[in-house]
Amino acid sequence: MTTDALPANVATRPSRTAFLSRVWHHRNGRIGLVFAVLILLGSVAGWTNLTPYPPDQLGAGSILASPSAAHLLGTDQFGRDVLSQVLQALAVTLEIALLAVAISGVIGSIAGIVAGFIRGWPGAAIMRVADILFAIPAILFALAIVSALGSGVVDSAMAIGIAYVPIFVRVVRGPVLSLYEADFVRAGRVLGYPRRRLLFRHVLPNVAGTIAVQTSLTLAWAILDEAGLSFLGLGPPAPTASLGEMVSNSTSLASHAWWTLAFPSLAIVIAAIAFNFLGDGLRAAFDPRGLSR
Amino acid sequence: MLLPLVRRLASMLTTLFGVLVVVFVILRLLPGNAVTASLGVNAGLLSHAQLQAIDKFYGVGESIPQQFFSWLWSMLHGNLGVSLSSREPVSTLIGSALPVTLELAVMSMILGILIGVGFGMIGALHPDRWQDDVGQGLAVFGLSVPSFVIGTVLITYLASIFHYFPSSLGFVGLFTNPWLNLQQVFLPALTLSFGIGAAIMRTTRAAVLEIRGLNFARTARGKGISHLAYVWRHLFLNALVAITTMSGIQFGYLLGGAVIVEDIFVLPGIGRLLITSITDRDFPVVQSVTLIFAAGFIVVNTLIDISYTLIDPRTRRR
Repeated sequence: MTTDALPANVATRPSRTAFLSRVWHHRNGRIGLVFAVLILLGSVAGWTNLTPYPPDQLGAGSILASPSAAHLLGTDQFGRDVLSQVLQALAVTLEIALLAVAISGVIGSIAGIVAGFIRGWPGAAIMRVADILFAIPAILFALAIVSALGSGVVDSAMAIGIAYVPIFVRVVRGPVLSLYEADFVRAGRVLGYPRRRLLFRHVLPNVAGTIAVQTSLTLAWAILDEAGLSFLGLGPPAPTASLGEMVSNSTSLASHAWWTLAFPSLAIVIAAIAFNFLGDGLRAAFDPRGLSR
Repeated sequence: MLLPLVRRLASMLTTLFGVLVVVFVILRLLPGNAVTASLGVNAGLLSHAQLQAIDKFYGVGESIPQQFFSWLWSMLHGNLGVSLSSREPVSTLIGSALPVTLELAVMSMILGILIGVGFGMIGALHPDRWQDDVGQGLAVFGLSVPSFVIGTVLITYLASIFHYFPSSLGFVGLFTNPWLNLQQVFLPALTLSFGIGAAIMRTTRAAVLEIRGLNFARTARGKGISHLAYVWRHLFLNALVAITTMSGIQFGYLLGGAVIVEDIFVLPGIGRLLITSITDRDFPVVQSVTLIFAAGFIVVNTLIDISYTLIDPRTRRR
């Protein structure tokens, strides 16, 4: 017997373009997609040094110049170009957030699947640990880890990543538990399929949506947390620019030079909205009944 | 009635114990020994014997379970250790900082719940109308604009344009000068309440929308009870479980946010204590403050769990 004989709604996979168009036709999903592409393009520009000026070039323009054709987002107190700095900082923030989500997504999803799929003490033990970790608010957890590890790109990513593991465990375990009891998985068990096959062919494709949605939402939280850590001066050390640090530095300048506060803040907000909304859109697109708008 | 309560409290205690273990593991076992780190550059100047003596003083030489239990033992006796940077007992530092954070937490929770429940109810009563759009817009704002941006904007523009910055005179206690104290705590609390309110607003809106469609709510309207009684008894009280649950989750966000907001508004609470102790690598303080935050979160959520029996008569019957 092949998988073709399984119920059609389980095995058929809609084409990728149809899926993207469903995200696009969701109001928030469309905004999310557009913003996410903007953020990605900005980060790539920052990453590849395709910025209008070298980000740390002192005196690229006059000191605290307001936005103009030469400096679209103005300059800071050292005459550095704000646009170039924002782009570079955005790349760093996104790098940390992506690494963090990779850590929490992989560890958390595996643990969640195991907790839902393997009955008895291993599952119970995983949930107990997840509950304990869940009791420590994410940013505090990240702060405690940063205080032990120190601050750097990888350290921040680990701190934020570990903090979000329990959410993935919880979110993934629920659907796995109910899938385990679903008729088509029972049928597979009765037919004597090996566990590996049940896991990869039956369960995993059906929790992929949940994992994708959670990945997008966690990305938004991780971006906000990274900005928060670097605002507190616990982000990657100088000369690495970071958005939170730019906001923190602007405190004394903002009353005279609003652009030093506005644009780094705007970058954080757009990035957070992008992945929050993209998560909404993905959820709607994965929902076969089209219940969530 | 009593047995579930005992079970709930027991599970709270095991979670607390687990948090103790996690905090211990993070701060003692991760690379970057805090003792050596606290010595900074001086570590290189000390002889091997001196380093060993210091390790012995802090109990580094003991086996790991030994260290854990002696730490646990002294904590149960109210001894949280001594700050490495100020040489004051950690319990003194926390004792003076905790009331500030508590006041901030209470005020921002109240503001957040008022904003969230208010806009959530209004939005759900007028779905897809302008009232709803205002609430939804506010929710997106609260969820995507980090508290440090709101705080920085408030501080910069209120201070520079309106010359209003109540914290500039230094912090005063609630009982020394209540009026000034409330002003000092209000802005940070307002800053935090946007994020809390946004999440509560979304939950309230979804819950009330769902309840509105149920038969008993339609019947109530059909038999012509007053609008106020409908909104209060049939909608609000039934949405209360969802609202309370979300408020408990937001309490965690609040504790994390307090760290950042206390830093911006120069409030001498335990969040600010945490930041200064992390920068100074003052690990006895970091350890205790993290524990207090986690304990607060666990206790609040246990209380919320227990409160369900008061809110929802259906949970009482089992």
